[in-house]
Amino acid sequence: MTASTLASPRPSNTCARKEAGLGSAILWETRKLRAQLRSRALLVGTLLAPVAVVLVVGAQSRPPKDSLFGRFSTENGFAMSLLVLGFASQWILPLVTAIVAGDAFASEDQHGTWKTVLTRSVSRSRLFWAKVLVSVVFGLVALVVLAAATIGASLLIVGRQPLTGLSGQLIEPGAALGLVAASWATMAPPLIAFTCLALLFSVWSRNAAVGIAAPVVIGMVMQLVGSLGGIEAIRPYLLTTPFEAWHGLLAEPRFTGPILDGVLSSAVWSGASLVAAFLVLRHRDITGG
Amino acid sequence: MRRFVISLVAAIVVVLAVGGAVVAGSGGGSSITRARLERSLPTTFSNLYADQAVLLGHPGVTPASLHATAMCDKGGAVEPDVGAGSNWNCLVSWTDPDNPMPPEGYGKFELQVHSNGCWTAGGPSKLVGFATLTDTKGREVTNPVSEFDGCFDPHGDSSPTGVEFPSLLGVTTTALRPDRDGRVSVQATCGTGSDGCRGTITATAGSTDLGTVPIDVDEEQTGTFSFDTPVPTAAAEVTFTVRLTRGVGPSKPVTLEMPA
Repeated sequence: MTASTLASPRPSNTCARKEAGLGSAILWETRKLRAQLRSRALLVGTLLAPVAVVLVVGAQSRPPKDSLFGRFSTENGFAMSLLVLGFASQWILPLVTAIVAGDAFASEDQHGTWKTVLTRSVSRSRLFWAKVLVSVVFGLVALVVLAAATIGASLLIVGRQPLTGLSGQLIEPGAALGLVAASWATMAPPLIAFTCLALLFSVWSRNAAVGIAAPVVIGMVMQLVGSLGGIEAIRPYLLTTPFEAWHGLLAEPRFTGPILDGVLSSAVWSGASLVAAFLVLRHRDITGG
Repeated sequence: MRRFVISLVAAIVVVLAVGGAVVAGSGGGSSITRARLERSLPTTFSNLYADQAVLLGHPGVTPASLHATAMCDKGGAVEPDVGAGSNWNCLVSWTDPDNPMPPEGYGKFELQVHSNGCWTAGGPSKLVGFATLTDTKGREVTNPVSEFDGCFDPHGDSSPTGVEFPSLLGVTTTALRPDRDGRVSVQATCGTGSDGCRGTITATAGSTDLGTVPIDVDEEQTGTFSFDTPVPTAAAEVTFTVRLTRGVGPSKPVTLEMPA
């Protein structure tokens, strides 16, 4: 990336002394990310887009009843933030995290910088884990910004009325805020899994476009497969099912089984993706190009 | 790039094979079952119906006082009651002195059930009212029970609830079309219910008995009943009387006019 050309002479001095540790690799990756226009624009987008969505949906004369919580969204801020949550989980969250993670390894291919970074400064595994950690943290930061912007905008623009839950029960505003925030928090495990999937495609394809598009397309296909009748048995294994686990928090009695299942399946997907990505990267011959 | 495409195709094939094996191994097992729906719908409905009572100013209605129960069915007798779909029907019975149940004892709700365990129900407007209602302060507000959403636990209790309601048989013919010899036939539809509709239907034209025909229609099916005796030319209308041993028929005999 452009950031690597901006390097001050200092890092080369430290590299001459000893091989860089994981900490400095993370710092370096973070610095590259901060210098990227794309990642900064993404964070600004996750901050501003929910405000626009809330304004537009809130101004509709007929609420979008075909989505969960849509029917209360124009008169209840909590319902509005849950409507946006349902929409975001369909493909926005995989896209947001893949934009950075899908590029993390492929950018080194694109700029031909593998030889530079690996032969002089840092080991493969340290660089790998630095990129993984930075991508995951970036995805989580984007999720937090998106959630805060959505909840904030919904409550300010639409209001804080008692929320009707998924069992018809009335939830007081104080409890509703906690449940809405918790619902957004349940997006974290599948988001991390999509990040790892994007990293795998980034390593494997050596192409940023594939790294970004493939997780989004896979997410959409899983969404479609998961909504088909007759093959519901496959749902627990899909990475999009955890995105719907929050429904249980808004029911009475509350159920959290799907959230635990979601954490488990996200962990398996993340682990498998990372192991595959690591093996592909370790066996790669970087001297060729 | 070519190697990448080959690996990608191989990965997709593996995923499809594993997925197919999972589906085949579990028999397509779905968490969407009749019993889970029969527990989820009355709970949500009761809470929302109590909200509606507050809006309408009906005192004394609480979710517990309604004793709501439901019997759900997917696609009638021909389809197993499992899985997502928009052809779920639920018969719901509840107790509200201000709003008594019709003779069959329930109202029919149409449900769209999604594979994630969430559903959207549309209530019968005769019993629950239309999409908006006028509250005690004279404002037009959304009717909470006209259409509503709910979700159930995909791991929740799925043992049968044992709630059963009889099917409602309705005569669907609105105009008689006698054949060349003056013989008539009517169509009747047996609604959602536990065991279909069995019994007899008798037709009379004035003082002439046109005959009695047995009824044997499964739920959510339609039967045609023809009467062999021709309608006398002088008769202006034909009356059909339904007597059912299983299911609920029309409470009054149905009278249809003969075409001029």
